[in-house]
Amino acid sequence: MDSEHASYATKPTRFTIFMRTFLPWQVWRFAVINLKMIEIIRRSHEGDSPK
Amino acid sequence: MSRVVVLGAGISGHTAAAFARSWLGRGDAVTVISPRPDYNWVPSNIWVGVGLMNPAQVTLPLAPIYERAGIEFVQASAREIHPEGDRENGNPYVTAESAGAEVKVPYDFLINATGPALRFDKTEGLGPGGGHSLSVCLPGHAAQAAAALAEEVERMRRGERRRFLVGVGHGTCTCEGAAFEYIVNLEFELRNRGVRDRAEITWITNEYELGDFGMGGMHLKRGGYITPSSIFNASLFAERGIDWITRAHVQKVEPDRVLYETLDGNEGERGFDFAMLLPPFSGVGLKVFDRERADITERLFMPNEFMRVDADYTPKPYEDWRAADWPRTYQSPEYPNIFAAGIAFAPPHPISVPRKSPNGTVIAPAPPRTGMPSAMIGKAVASSVVDMIGGAKAPTHTASMAEMGAACVASAGANPFTGTAASMTVFPIVPDFERYPEYGRDKDRTFGEIGLAGHWIKILLHHLFLYKARLRPGWRWIPE
Repeated sequence: MDSEHASYATKPTRFTIFMRTFLPWQVWRFAVINLKMIEIIRRSHEGDSPK
Repeated sequence: MSRVVVLGAGISGHTAAAFARSWLGRGDAVTVISPRPDYNWVPSNIWVGVGLMNPAQVTLPLAPIYERAGIEFVQASAREIHPEGDRENGNPYVTAESAGAEVKVPYDFLINATGPALRFDKTEGLGPGGGHSLSVCLPGHAAQAAAALAEEVERMRRGERRRFLVGVGHGTCTCEGAAFEYIVNLEFELRNRGVRDRAEITWITNEYELGDFGMGGMHLKRGGYITPSSIFNASLFAERGIDWITRAHVQKVEPDRVLYETLDGNEGERGFDFAMLLPPFSGVGLKVFDRERADITERLFMPNEFMRVDADYTPKPYEDWRAADWPRTYQSPEYPNIFAAGIAFAPPHPISVPRKSPNGTVIAPAPPRTGMPSAMIGKAVASSVVDMIGGAKAPTHTASMAEMGAACVASAGANPFTGTAASMTVFPIVPDFERYPEYGRDKDRTFGEIGLAGHWIKILLHHLFLYKARLRPGWRWIPE
């Protein structure tokens, strides 16, 4: 890639790229991200109390 | 008996109709008026656009779902609202057009969830219908993009180099997130098909910085830093060899190049062989008439054809924008039995900083209000309507985008073992600088990371939300 502004961008290391698809780590992240999203959904429904 | 009429069967309208039906007694009626026969799970259209799914996998026929649920379905395009009825009859009604014939549907409560009109006409040469660019806004558009992509791949396999341009086709577009998903999926697919080295891929956007997404960007807590989303977005593009043009308003799309203007007033052009550029949105152009048949559209709708609701529409400079400007109940200030939900409501102002070029061209993203917020607004509006039918004097439920968060998963490549997606949460969607002075958002709840887990979540959501849209047993327990 020869774009000048791309040379100023942060790039991931090989380890970071490896971890993105490393199954045991991703299974753990799947659980963590789901919990974070459930918390956001719960808080967002506060104005919308169940009938 | 009361009749609730919902205009539109997209994410917001379908949610509103389904909840209203399940909460109302059988003596009350729910009617949905929609021009298309299918429900479309729009977030998965990007996978149709790269050839990984076909339109049937992202759509559901509405008629059997509504028949089973006890919802009346009128396949027609809504045209007029008559909130005071007419001289002969004071009952409110809407008119819709179906195969050239006018249908008149009376209502007690009206939920306008018509979504956007795709305004390809705002930029010369934009769009698949007679223009020179592709789109993934509709399943049919996305299938067309996939076919064009397959042709490009064949050319590259024969040794040709091809130029891909993806982004937005006007300075006032929204939904940059969808175009972002498309470009990274496109790049992933070109790699999978072994032709990446022959493709030059460029992102063109009206965002001031990458990662704005019409939400003024985000500050994400990750790796011991609070980092602007522009850094993440630039990293993602640089890693994948995607070039970018920011702060751009596309003026014209020609068969092999776009002409654009940037915020600094300069003009440029970019050649392409394949362009997927999203259009700007407006409302669908509903007209409103009083009892005497005088046109009162401007009392209910803004000039951009989105509906006025309980927001503060007083024009004010960016410094004076407040979270409290954003609507909470989505009730029309003119007629208490009319609501707007999803994209159909008029935002009080953008979220991103408004900017103009020296020529006066607005180059700033419009605020997104799709997906999770659209569904939550639909549900809150349905709750209020049901309570008002039950005797409540005013809306009882709220869903302000300045008080709710959003969970978003942006696919960056679809494969169960090598795919990735960016998982993001923001809270609230509209920054509240009075509550969170530093960044406008709760930095403990605004988060993002990229990985395979995100792709699994994206797949899970695809199946979960299509199950929910079918109104299968337990659908109400799946959150919006």
